[in-house]
Amino acid sequence: MSAVTLPAARPSRLKAFLARAFAKPAFVTGFAILVLSLALALFPGVLAPYDPLAFDLDAIQQGPSLAHLFGTDNFGRDMLSRVIWAYSVDMQMAFFATVFALLIGVTTGAIVGYYGGIADMIFGRCVDAIITFPFLVLVIAIVAVLGPGLVNMYVAITAVNWVYYARLTRAEIMAQKANDYAAAGRVLGYSDTRIIFRHLLPNAISPVIVYWMTDMALAILLGSSLGYLGLGAQPPAAEWGVLIAEGRNFLMTAWWMSLTPGIAIVVTGLGFSLLGDALADLLRPKGR
Amino acid sequence: MPSLSYLLARLVQIIPTFLLVMVFIFLIVRLLPGDPAIAMAEAKATDAQIEQIRRNLGLDQPLPVQFVVFVKNTLTGDLGRSIMLKAPVTEVILARLPTTIFLALYSVVLAICLAGPLAFLAAARANGAADIAIRSVFQVGLSMPVFYIGLLLLTVLAAKLRLFPVGGYGTSFLDNLYHLILPALSVALYTSAIILRNLRASLIEVLDADYVQFARAKGLSPRIVMTRHVLRNAMVSTVTLLGLSIGNLMSGTLVTETVFAVPGVGRLMLEAIFARDYPLIQGLTLTFAVLVSVVFLLTDVVQSWLDPRLRQS
Amino acid sequence: MTPLLPLFLGAALGLAAATSALAIERGGSMSFARYDDSAIIDPVYADRNPDLWMINAFYETLLRNGPDGSIVPGLAESHAVSADGKTITLTLRDGLRFSDGSPITGEDVVFSLDRARNPDLGPWAGLLGSVESVAAEGDTVTLALKQPDPTILSILATFNTGIMPKAAFEKAAGATDQEKAQAFFAGGPVTSGPFMLKSRVQGASMSFARNPNYWRPGEDGKPLPYLDAVDFTVIPDDATRILKLQAGEVDAAEFIPFARVGELGADPDLKMELFPSTRIVYAPINTREARADGAKNPLADVKVRQALNYATNKDVLIKLVTFGTGKPMTSLMSAATQLHYGPEPLYPYDPEKARALLGEAGLSGGFEVKLTTLAGSADDATLFTALQQMWAPLGIDLTVEQVDNPTRGEKNRSGAFDIHTYGWANDVNDPAQVTGWLGYYKQRQAVGTGWNNAEFNDLFEKSNSEVDPEKRRGEYKRMQEIYAQEAPLLFLFETPFAVAVSRSIEGYVQTPLGANDFSEAWRARK
Repeated sequence: MSAVTLPAARPSRLKAFLARAFAKPAFVTGFAILVLSLALALFPGVLAPYDPLAFDLDAIQQGPSLAHLFGTDNFGRDMLSRVIWAYSVDMQMAFFATVFALLIGVTTGAIVGYYGGIADMIFGRCVDAIITFPFLVLVIAIVAVLGPGLVNMYVAITAVNWVYYARLTRAEIMAQKANDYAAAGRVLGYSDTRIIFRHLLPNAISPVIVYWMTDMALAILLGSSLGYLGLGAQPPAAEWGVLIAEGRNFLMTAWWMSLTPGIAIVVTGLGFSLLGDALADLLRPKGR
Repeated sequence: MPSLSYLLARLVQIIPTFLLVMVFIFLIVRLLPGDPAIAMAEAKATDAQIEQIRRNLGLDQPLPVQFVVFVKNTLTGDLGRSIMLKAPVTEVILARLPTTIFLALYSVVLAICLAGPLAFLAAARANGAADIAIRSVFQVGLSMPVFYIGLLLLTVLAAKLRLFPVGGYGTSFLDNLYHLILPALSVALYTSAIILRNLRASLIEVLDADYVQFARAKGLSPRIVMTRHVLRNAMVSTVTLLGLSIGNLMSGTLVTETVFAVPGVGRLMLEAIFARDYPLIQGLTLTFAVLVSVVFLLTDVVQSWLDPRLRQS
Repeated sequence: MTPLLPLFLGAALGLAAATSALAIERGGSMSFARYDDSAIIDPVYADRNPDLWMINAFYETLLRNGPDGSIVPGLAESHAVSADGKTITLTLRDGLRFSDGSPITGEDVVFSLDRARNPDLGPWAGLLGSVESVAAEGDTVTLALKQPDPTILSILATFNTGIMPKAAFEKAAGATDQEKAQAFFAGGPVTSGPFMLKSRVQGASMSFARNPNYWRPGEDGKPLPYLDAVDFTVIPDDATRILKLQAGEVDAAEFIPFARVGELGADPDLKMELFPSTRIVYAPINTREARADGAKNPLADVKVRQALNYATNKDVLIKLVTFGTGKPMTSLMSAATQLHYGPEPLYPYDPEKARALLGEAGLSGGFEVKLTTLAGSADDATLFTALQQMWAPLGIDLTVEQVDNPTRGEKNRSGAFDIHTYGWANDVNDPAQVTGWLGYYKQRQAVGTGWNNAEFNDLFEKSNSEVDPEKRRGEYKRMQEIYAQEAPLLFLFETPFAVAVSRSIEGYVQTPLGANDFSEAWRARK
């Protein structure tokens, strides 16, 4: 470490932060939901009582019962097992639809924010152009070209979504750049890369992380909407939007087919946004 | 009112953005793997028919030439012919656009009617019982996809209780208000959750602000304080937010039009995508971009009218 | 005698009640929820089903398909085929008029048929490929053929030969025929069929009004149609379309998903109609020696194709996909097609036979097959899951590849697939169309399978100019036997057209070719 004290996260600060976090009911609830969701997503084979794809023609569209807590669908498949297996698809969507956007966006945002000039101007025009399209319209236009499916959906969402991370990071970096320690770093002859990624970014990143939480909730909403419209995950795979679409024809006769995956979306989305809100509260600099 | 020069400056700013928008739209179709002409042709098409499609789309020309032609045609309002509907794209879109705009405005009005009073109620006693209840409900609303809200409304209000029509579109203004209430409400519930969140925060901030406290201390009547300071500020932030979330609103109408069988441009977009009707997809994407830009511009204008300070910066 | 009287009376009363329930009532309108909108209702340019299946409402043909599939008179009250089969003479009825009151003349017929067979215009011109010339003198129309054509009478009863008004069409704005067709349709065309276009909001709704000059008489002796109007609403979403019917907002909804047939059939306010159709669902198998990547294709062996067919439990598929409304295929064509030959369902489920055949083919050790499915298709997803479960015990590892519609067509064209699913419904009341599509190599490599059977191809070519109906029947029997034996398809099932109709509407029919026929529909008043 150099003589100049540069702010960075320390274990003791982390501990204090966690103590404050777990004192907030919103954080605890959001955290609990996400831990549970993650468990379901990682071990669906262990936790699901039935095979999510196996037909059972003797148990078609049975209502919720002890044998089938969430009922069965029009092929006798166990809805609970299908909703649980969908956790792995939808949690994957929350992650993969956002993480590349985050990486690309943060890098781009940091660079244009630090250097400014012509790169920043070109970036600004690109952002203007991309946000001129409604998000869903641009995503489905790209999916239309690439063809439906999960991977193409990630590509499409990332192609649009990185802009939002980049914009956010750029603004934060520009604010940080004005601070003393950036100037100090330059005086000490540090490389630009080191200043950007070691010193500026760690201080600029917390709003991005908060946004990421909310964005993962949005990714689930978006991904399930695309699944519902037939452009995202494909049957027979279980995905909440796809499951709701399958239940769409039985809204009146087998309501559990569309209601149970719907509840899963709402609860998981709630988990992400509670956590995001709580983090935003915790990380908000005092006095702003 | 904002000056003419300000408006002009904003319009000039839009030009490079729009050129990029055109590049994106142009590239989306050209960069797809494989030959768009084959993708567009019917299964039974002959090679001659495919060649015909290629010529019609100008795909036999070099890319820069194609782009110039595309820009020129677009500026003259010629967006090509829809393959699926066998009609000029411009004509098709103009026929469907009013429905979507009506639906979008309708849902904005509903969202404001819903979020406005509730935000005041919540902000009046921040962290009171009403505040917590309202926020919880809307938090859940924010976690629901629009298509799911639509399905719930459709099942309960239309199919079960038969209070509203299942879908479709009316023939007169009042008829439309009646037919489109559920689709508009589905979008409005989501939008109002966003408005409420923001409006509540900005109301609390304004109510705490020094100048409002000062105005109160000066003995101004609560009504004057409310209209002169609180409302104006709340309006500025809400208008900004609504303007910025026009993209969301359009995305919402796209979904809700599909769920409720509303014949607008959103449903058309999905139909075009499933039919791989590229001229129509291009035209619709452009239409959405124009809509959003117009709203951004209007937001600027209204904003600077409501808050003259913004005009200087 | 006395004891018999009450019985007799009762029977008579019962009869009276039955007739009064069927006594046709005129007037009123019906509303109909469609799955898609018509882009253009024109006999020449229509190419999608929502267009094709409405043409008969506007444009009457010279001959008609009778309810039993036989050819009956239409605008032409009689027709005669010369002994050499190369001249067709038709006589128009007296006093025929278009919807605007102008007479339907031989000139209109020549105009319409010449337009229909112009290969520069629409995709259907090939159906009239055998026609050398069309001429009219007074009420007599003569078709001169290049060679005898056994399908020609069926073609004269097919939508693409609907009779249009020459004068009115030519008056329409536009330089080319296509532009004129567009303008003619958009302006509310002058029609010869039972209805005319009253209004239309593209993509949303359409309204038909009764054509007062339509020729065909109804049961009461007065001209059809019985209804004053038919109003269409376009609702692509199945569930919403059905909700709208259940809420009483429309009188009928088409394309009911088979999953809902049972539920709607139990609804006391509705009639669940399952109209017999020529629709088949089948899966082309790639029969080429090598796969697209150059590897040896196990499916080139007829034994393997037969084994796959035996290993497929069609009854279970029919239950899963069509909810019991479908029927197993008995031939390459549906049982409702003319000259169909198929005494029993093809390849009844027999896993042991399948195992034996695979053994003979040297594939007891199992192999991999890829099913190409249509993204977003729930039926394809169901078929895949079911086939995978059915074939696994035989060591067949079925994998899935999801593509969109154009890609599937592209793969079919280039042979880059193992198996995929397709559906088909005849457009013409004749077996040549479906037989050529599925089996004739020179048309599209036998629906992309690459199956090239010399005997079958010869028979097909011969049957296309065969004037002796009995000989033609024999040729078709043989072709269907060869095809069944060779199995270039996985034979899946036939499905009906499912339309749910309110109890207050009688007489609506969807024909086996798919056409929506409102000409004899009527509304019962309570």
